[in-house]
Amino acid sequence: MRFRTELKNIRTFAKLTAALSSLEKIAWVRLSDDTVRFTVIPDMGSQVWASLAMDFLFEGYNIQSAEANNTINLELPLQPLQRALKSAQNSMSASLRLTKKDGLPILSMVITTMTGDKGTAGGASSNVAAAATRNSNSDDPFADDEDINLGPEHLETSLRREHEKVITQDIPVRVLHPETVETIMQPKVREPDVHIQLPPLLQLKAISDRFTKLALVPPGNKSPKLELSANMHGSLRLRINTETTDISSVWSGLENPELDPAQLDMPVDEHPSTRFREMGPEKWASVRVDGKDWSRVLSVGRLEGRVIACFADDHALILYVYVPHYDDASAEDSVVTYYVQSYSA
Amino acid sequence: MAILNFTLSEEGVTALRDALICLSKFSDDVSLEARKDSFTLTTLNVTKSAYASFKFGPGKFFSRYSFQGTGPYREKFYCTLFIRSLISIFRSRTSVDTQRDVERHTVIEKCDVAVEDGEGISSRFIARIVFRNGLTSTHRLPFEVAVPVHAKFNKSDSPHHWVIASRTLRQLMDHFGPGIDLLDINTDGDHVNFTCFSEKTVSEDAVLKKPLQTSIAVEADEFDDIDVEDKLHIVISVKDFRAIIQHAGITGNVISARYSLPARPIQFSYGSEAISCEFLVMTVAPSEAPGQDAQQMPPPPPASRRPPNLTPQMSAPRASASRLGAFDLRPTQQAPPPATHNSESLFVDEESWEPMRDEEEEEDNARLEWDHSAETNPAELRMKSMMHQTAQPAPDANTEDAASANLESQALEPTQNMSEVQNLALFPD
Repeated sequence: MRFRTELKNIRTFAKLTAALSSLEKIAWVRLSDDTVRFTVIPDMGSQVWASLAMDFLFEGYNIQSAEANNTINLELPLQPLQRALKSAQNSMSASLRLTKKDGLPILSMVITTMTGDKGTAGGASSNVAAAATRNSNSDDPFADDEDINLGPEHLETSLRREHEKVITQDIPVRVLHPETVETIMQPKVREPDVHIQLPPLLQLKAISDRFTKLALVPPGNKSPKLELSANMHGSLRLRINTETTDISSVWSGLENPELDPAQLDMPVDEHPSTRFREMGPEKWASVRVDGKDWSRVLSVGRLEGRVIACFADDHALILYVYVPHYDDASAEDSVVTYYVQSYSA
Repeated sequence: MAILNFTLSEEGVTALRDALICLSKFSDDVSLEARKDSFTLTTLNVTKSAYASFKFGPGKFFSRYSFQGTGPYREKFYCTLFIRSLISIFRSRTSVDTQRDVERHTVIEKCDVAVEDGEGISSRFIARIVFRNGLTSTHRLPFEVAVPVHAKFNKSDSPHHWVIASRTLRQLMDHFGPGIDLLDINTDGDHVNFTCFSEKTVSEDAVLKKPLQTSIAVEADEFDDIDVEDKLHIVISVKDFRAIIQHAGITGNVISARYSLPARPIQFSYGSEAISCEFLVMTVAPSEAPGQDAQQMPPPPPASRRPPNLTPQMSAPRASASRLGAFDLRPTQQAPPPATHNSESLFVDEESWEPMRDEEEEEDNARLEWDHSAETNPAELRMKSMMHQTAQPAPDANTEDAASANLESQALEPTQNMSEVQNLALFPD
């Protein structure tokens, strides 16, 4: 079993890892010739299946496995990966290799970088970007106190010539047996009643979190439920309904994307969403979600992708996050699928 | 009457607070020592494996400084204070929200300190804080008169050294993840490697909970000055290293490290014209450094590698220390106790401790016994240590003492003798 690669799109990889890591500590990673898939399945909460083209994250990769279809299945702790990728940001190069150390399998990330987060070429702008990243990660459980407490840089020392450094980050992993993997099944959900493009997630998250906090005010209600509804006429409604409050926010003018008939098992006319569209803007598909879990799901917003929500009324909510390929617009989009834990109304 | 009287400038308050915050990462108490021309804060951690010292010059931070030695304090005054209560005084309202504080002018402008002690006067450390908004607060702290313990470091015994910008080291620390406790500093050709790891063993099904293991290779060129033995591994506590680097980063100057062998102390020092900082940290013996680097460990150094200047005037404690070193490195050795038990070695270099030779040896032997409690054949080993004993030009009575110490050693707390040791620090140099 062999896997080694150079890393690319490190910033996106780091953001994806951060998003996954907000839901669960350990991910199942399936590497194959053309696709890398990250799956997190928490005991409680939403599941994520992220399927990305290998050449989206990896460059010049080499994968060899005795398993069927040349796949490698790993259990990978996300927080160490996140930390390692943080070191790799703004690096000159970074590679990843599956190897063994003291008899235990590890993913060894070798990063060539200059001291700290300054690329000598990047200058001030990359510093600002790095600082912004750090701020946006302020809820990062890994943020060291050092990051915050450090005093101002001293000019006289920063004038020194920067030197190259080689950082090795060894992440513990566990290789999964194919039989173990077979038992992990992607959920099957019926065709959705409503599909709609979500408003900017940062906005949606801010309002959702506000609602959740309001519902937390009467003590005892540890896991308030938010009601999410959407119609086929461009509206999304977020509502919290407790003994003392009933608040809702409505977005309108959102897009209900056209279905691709080639992807459907049935004629578009018979699809549930067509029926919902015909029944007018008052026909909502609703699910209830756990406020805290929903907040963790929405942290995927940092990937800055287009998000399509698919509602199966009173049954399920699925989010498809299309991860943008900045450097290659023609490439097929990579999709991160969230099976949001939902409760019937 | 006040023995010590000084006024700290705004800058001085900050410098003192930074030093106290750093010291608080090592211990709960700080020893203050004032002389006519110097003001020193020191601490020794509870396991006696790390010692920190901050020496403030009388200029710059002090707008006024007067020491009036009387009675027992003619030469110098010393006392021990609880660090956290000191920090809370100097931190007054300047901590969290700097922006707002500036508006409210609750920044400390200066601080007058008077230390009173003597017959019929209660022992008090009195700090009068003057805030920029005109507010004044006065704090009276009780203190304990305790002789400060100073760890000594013999530079000539520690040939390996390097100097590097503190900022560079601080940036290295940013790459280390949580959950690690040890840092291995070693050289490999043109590079110096900083490798962090955890010695905690994890069960089979918890392998994924192992911390991220980070290794950073730094070009030797990046050091201002470097002279170290290739392949030599020095292992210290990450927590101590972090505390030191963090403070060194505030001063923004170069930091220099000096060391000899594993299980001997490493010295970190840095400073500016107004403050000089020194840290002595015990390094972990090689057999304790587990896991990945064990096979790369250098072989036990041959006898000639030990400090070559074992001259006749060498004090007995040091002689026994070098024997101790050889003992630690013996390959058949079972895993010795954690680094903290080796800590006494921090002190063996102080030649003025010669009179305490017997205690010193008792301690060493107590340690030997500790090491061997898990051995299958302790009797033979005890014989060996007895033979070492008799090889010393020590009176028989002492040998017996030492032997009985051997027998009781299981009950001995490893740090028990420190109280006796402290008395000796009265007469350094």
